[in-house]
Amino acid sequence: MNEKVEVLKSKEMQALEEKMTMLVQTGRIDNLIDLLAVVSDNIEMTTQPMVEKMIGTVDNMATAGFVTENAVRYAKRETDKNEVPSLFGMLKLLKDKDTRKGLAFILNLTKGIGKQL
Amino acid sequence: MKKKILIVGGGTAGTMTANNLAKKLMPEIDRGDVEITLISNSKYHYYRPGAMYVAFHKSEGHEFVREQRSLLMPEIEFIVDAAVEINTNRNFVKGQSGKRYEYDFMVLATGCEAAPERIPGLKEGGDWFYTYEGARKLAEKFQTIKNGRVLITVNFPKTPNIPHQCGIAPVETTIMLHDYLTEKGVRENVEIVYTYPTEAQSVHNGLFLQEPTSKVLPAIFDGMGIKHKTGFTLNKVDPNKKVAYSEEGEEMEFDILMSTPPFIASKVIRESGLSKALDGEGWLPTDRKTLKVKGLGNVYTLGDTVDLPVSKAGGTIHNQTDVVADNIASELRYGYPTESYDGLVIAIAQMGLSCGMPLWYDYEEDVQPTPCSKLGSFVRKGFNKGIYWAAARGMI
Repeated sequence: MNEKVEVLKSKEMQALEEKMTMLVQTGRIDNLIDLLAVVSDNIEMTTQPMVEKMIGTVDNMATAGFVTENAVRYAKRETDKNEVPSLFGMLKLLKDKDTRKGLAFILNLTKGIGKQL
Repeated sequence: MKKKILIVGGGTAGTMTANNLAKKLMPEIDRGDVEITLISNSKYHYYRPGAMYVAFHKSEGHEFVREQRSLLMPEIEFIVDAAVEINTNRNFVKGQSGKRYEYDFMVLATGCEAAPERIPGLKEGGDWFYTYEGARKLAEKFQTIKNGRVLITVNFPKTPNIPHQCGIAPVETTIMLHDYLTEKGVRENVEIVYTYPTEAQSVHNGLFLQEPTSKVLPAIFDGMGIKHKTGFTLNKVDPNKKVAYSEEGEEMEFDILMSTPPFIASKVIRESGLSKALDGEGWLPTDRKTLKVKGLGNVYTLGDTVDLPVSKAGGTIHNQTDVVADNIASELRYGYPTESYDGLVIAIAQMGLSCGMPLWYDYEEDVQPTPCSKLGSFVRKGFNKGIYWAAARGMI
């Protein structure tokens, strides 16, 4: 018994089918499917410790960025507020507790780099 | 005259809002027209959703604590001083140190606290994962249990239509417990019973405070062999006999009682005279759109302290914070608030140790539950251990 089945497609389904047909005909579908497959496999292979390390790295960079960006903005504001300091003005700035804290930090920062060389 | 903005509270709400205000008002800060001060009772900032991982030995806890100063932009003055008195007539807050903090605008962001002592016997006989101390106690019990029953109970505030902290947490921890005991090979001998109260905001006799999720939970629990019953509102615990009693007249024995205890606003808020909540709970009357404290012209609130029906969670604060910051900025600049909160809450629920489910809802729409995934869990855990700190700093 031979039966012919006619499937009614909506306009949108038809458009989708045409796009998929194009991808198959041009051979592009291979790379696209492979890409999705690789993404899926990488999700499968990813473990919790890997996620933690990746996120830790992101957080470290974000923190360094935050601290630096804040310091730059603060420094710019203070520098803009005042005249270029005289030598005496520089000494006054050195006397300030926050400045000394920052300088000690920079020296320790230098030391931290030295330790890694 | 320099305008003073005071933020009371150094948790998620206070920190995000202080940073967002500083960003928004940078031109005023540069001109020296505005100063922002944040006072907190602690030098440290705790990421509260991390505590439940401690309960299952998946975290030690220290990963979720940072120094508050490191999370705030330098334009914000940060002082460790617990607020002990709020005077809205004369626009100042008094700290424990005796110092007075005057303000032109204030943000009350002191959150909420677990109050197990409000149910007789609960403090002595029950456990909870909402604090790090409580989670550590639970971790030791979960580590050693080989057989018996873990009973889950959930209590809501007595003030109507207000949730407990983090609505999804009881479901998350129940499924996490199932996974944990399965991992340890003792799940077959440990019965897990999830109970829910008769009244849960607009849901009656359900398993969750929203209908769509409440409807799918029985099937999810059945699939894991988790027993569930509704109509159980815990009102007494016998710590010696290890029996939990309900308002409805039932009693259930337990070996471990993993409870969601009653929650209340913090002491300074409860004693401020600003609250209209029942039972001295202290929730602040909040305008659901502007997030102003009702009846006051220059005080805003957000986070866990509000009397709104939205979730007491970080994912709520993340959407409220910009409304508050923008409104204070526009009040300073134009004399009136311009933004409106639409009730949006976003989160990724930890539905089991390795399965995450993104969710969102607002004043108009409830959560539509979807299947959880491994990738969802990675994003949630990535948030816990990294993205949260960027969010607290106002970077995301």
